[in-house]
Amino acid sequence: MSAAQKATLAPAPDSDTGAVAVLGVLVGNEAYGIPLACIREILVPPPMTEVPRAAAHFLGVISVRGEIITVIDLAKLLNLEVRHDELPGRVLLVDNGQELIGVAVDRVIQVYRLEPGQIEYASAMSADLSDYVVGLGRVQNQPAGSSDDMLILIDPVSLLGE
Amino acid sequence: MSDPRDNVQQEFLAEAQELVEALSRDLLLLDEAHHRGERIDPALINEIFRSVHTLKGIAGMFGYKHVGAVAHALEDLLDDLRLGRTAIGQNLLDILFDSIERFQSLLTLEDPQSPQEEAGVQHYIAAIRSIGIEEEVEDGDPIDKYAIDPAVLGVLTEYEEHRLRACIREGLRLYRLRASFKLMSIDDSIEALREKAQEEAEIITYLPSMEGGNDDTIELVVLLAARVPEEELNAHFESRYGSIEAIAERTHLPTLPPRRTSIPVLSMRPPSEDDGGQASLRSVADSVRVDIRKLDHLMSVVGELALVRSAVNRIVDSFKNDVTHRQSSMDLDRIGRGLERQLLELRTGILDVRMVPLGQVFNKLARIVRQAAREDDKQVRLVVTGANTEVDKLIVEELTDPLMHLVRNAIDHGIESPEARVRAHKREEGTLALNAYHKGSNVVIEVEDDGGGMNAHQLRDEAIERGLLTAEASQELSRQGMLDLVFLPGLSTRSEVTDMSGRGVGMDVVKTNILRLGGMITIASEQGTGTKITVTLPITLAIIRALIVTVAARTFAFPITAVQEAVPYVPNDVHTIHGRNVITLRGETLAICDLGQLFGLRKSGGREGRFVVIASMGHRKLGFVVDELIGQDDVIIKSLGKSLSSVRGFAGATDLGDQKVALMLDAPSLFTEYFEGPDAFRALESRP
Repeated sequence: MSAAQKATLAPAPDSDTGAVAVLGVLVGNEAYGIPLACIREILVPPPMTEVPRAAAHFLGVISVRGEIITVIDLAKLLNLEVRHDELPGRVLLVDNGQELIGVAVDRVIQVYRLEPGQIEYASAMSADLSDYVVGLGRVQNQPAGSSDDMLILIDPVSLLGE
Repeated sequence: MSDPRDNVQQEFLAEAQELVEALSRDLLLLDEAHHRGERIDPALINEIFRSVHTLKGIAGMFGYKHVGAVAHALEDLLDDLRLGRTAIGQNLLDILFDSIERFQSLLTLEDPQSPQEEAGVQHYIAAIRSIGIEEEVEDGDPIDKYAIDPAVLGVLTEYEEHRLRACIREGLRLYRLRASFKLMSIDDSIEALREKAQEEAEIITYLPSMEGGNDDTIELVVLLAARVPEEELNAHFESRYGSIEAIAERTHLPTLPPRRTSIPVLSMRPPSEDDGGQASLRSVADSVRVDIRKLDHLMSVVGELALVRSAVNRIVDSFKNDVTHRQSSMDLDRIGRGLERQLLELRTGILDVRMVPLGQVFNKLARIVRQAAREDDKQVRLVVTGANTEVDKLIVEELTDPLMHLVRNAIDHGIESPEARVRAHKREEGTLALNAYHKGSNVVIEVEDDGGGMNAHQLRDEAIERGLLTAEASQELSRQGMLDLVFLPGLSTRSEVTDMSGRGVGMDVVKTNILRLGGMITIASEQGTGTKITVTLPITLAIIRALIVTVAARTFAFPITAVQEAVPYVPNDVHTIHGRNVITLRGETLAICDLGQLFGLRKSGGREGRFVVIASMGHRKLGFVVDELIGQDDVIIKSLGKSLSSVRGFAGATDLGDQKVALMLDAPSLFTEYFEGPDAFRALESRP
């Protein structure tokens, strides 16, 4: 995916000022932001059914009111060195434009409003970032436990989970 | 939610589709009668005329200009046919059959007025018009043979006059029947008479007589043409309708004085004319068209209700041991059972609505058979059994293309030319049989021809030549194994591409499509005798009965349709042949496969206390080693999400209640994987 394309996938502004609401989540010790607009629900993880022979970043499938939802482990998808010796803390139901998928994270922090000035797009950065990342958001009141005051912004459309 | 105009449009398309299907069915009947040289039932031609007439009407209302124009031209042609101004011939039948394809393509146009279609439509209309009118050349009018009152002849409509002529020419005798009818119920009574007469006679016309009748009743004189003699006709009507008398044939005196009864010139509009539109409106009044997605939605609501019910059951159970709540717990339990029964009924009801007869597909196939046989210059008789067998609507939709291909194949490659058949001491006319029947919770469809059959060794050689099979591997193949090679991608027994197989699909695609529906396809062929292809499918995709098992502490579900039996696993009985584990079951060698190892869930193979679930697919059997058998359950299958679609071996997943999910094993794909290796999938996938 080219940098230009990625920029267009940035979270759509949802106020006059161009501010975007993102849900801050903790994966390992990094803070990530996912646009609030594409999050349908935050679940306490129901029993997970592993799917044999699926790629490693698939945690399995869960049943949400009778629908079968595929759950992706965000940590594994992003190649983070995290150990999962227990169930994920929360599963977010994310609409990636094609299907409703579950995204497993360790903890939900809070909803942030990012003004355009607080977002730094990946296309403008030289840093080598993962394909799933749109850019970085600078936030002030980060909770303790995270390494810095950055939110790594995830592009929900890229979470196709292939 | 949706645009109301879209809905109206959908309604129109659905109705038009039904009309075209009815037209197609009737044309096939007409074609068959014509080929057998049988008498053509005038009611059939009327039926065809009516379908086209109604189609013209609704196409006009919805702006389907081209459909309307074609229907209009056809209507004129059919009117000529109905009135005997044109005779049925091969050309005419071809033109009529062309209309089916033409209507179907015109109905799928995005722009129903599209100017690009104009030329094609006009060309076709010109072809219809060119069939022209063949005036009857008569050696004198046959009506002159009878002493019919000129007053009657004077009021016959053109259609009635034509039918009268046709009946006399066919050698039917003419009779006059007088009967009185109550004015209040005259329409129904005449209809009843018409039905009663149908087996033995045809009603040409009826007119009120001046003699009988009073304020409440009216006497009609009915002109009948019958195949049977007077006494039999009398017996048939049991004298219920008054007197029947034969109309005398004229001898040498064409100007015999008119008979005693004179029928007044009083015109009554016969119902056979122009009631087409109304009839079709009435016939749809007691049925409803439903979008299949709405049914899917209802089905998932039922699924959720079932989950709610099991949650309630758990609460009831927890109350059972509590003495203080004893009475209410018993009441709840009773209500719970009632709910369960109703739920089951609701589910059965919805499933029932989804069922449609396979006849819908068979009618399409009949058209293919006719067309293919003509293109190939072969004579094919189509024999259909079990057209009433019902299958889930979704399956029917998905089934059309694979079956169409099988039928084309059977005619293209199976049935020989008439000359070749005669040389082989067979009947000139080949037979293609389409059989459908229920077998347990499966539906079986057979496509069987009495053609040349398949040459197993030729198939094998071809597979080796194309590098699909090593000469070494071919040594192990049984005859059946060689026949099964036909399902490999890129193998066709004929090197040249004929017009018929021009769609570019092979048997491998047919097989993939059938497997996708949770079905199985097998082939049996005797050289010189014929080929039979058997497709086995589940009746519905929505709910299936499953055997729940555990493997390495994980729960899986087997579709019960694939399971034959389960036997205890005895490690000492396992032998190894060519690196594959086998056991002997009642004298039969059976390959077994440990699901835990196949899925990479454990390293070691089976041990004591486990079970072998024996699954069968067509003629193949395979035993799957599992840890525990939990039991059977009716489950609602949900597909796995898009992102997991590339994971092989699972047909979907199901919620067992309590939010516990079990993966549904996909027996056909596990079979393919085991017997043909994981590479077989890659080969299938590389094709579009």
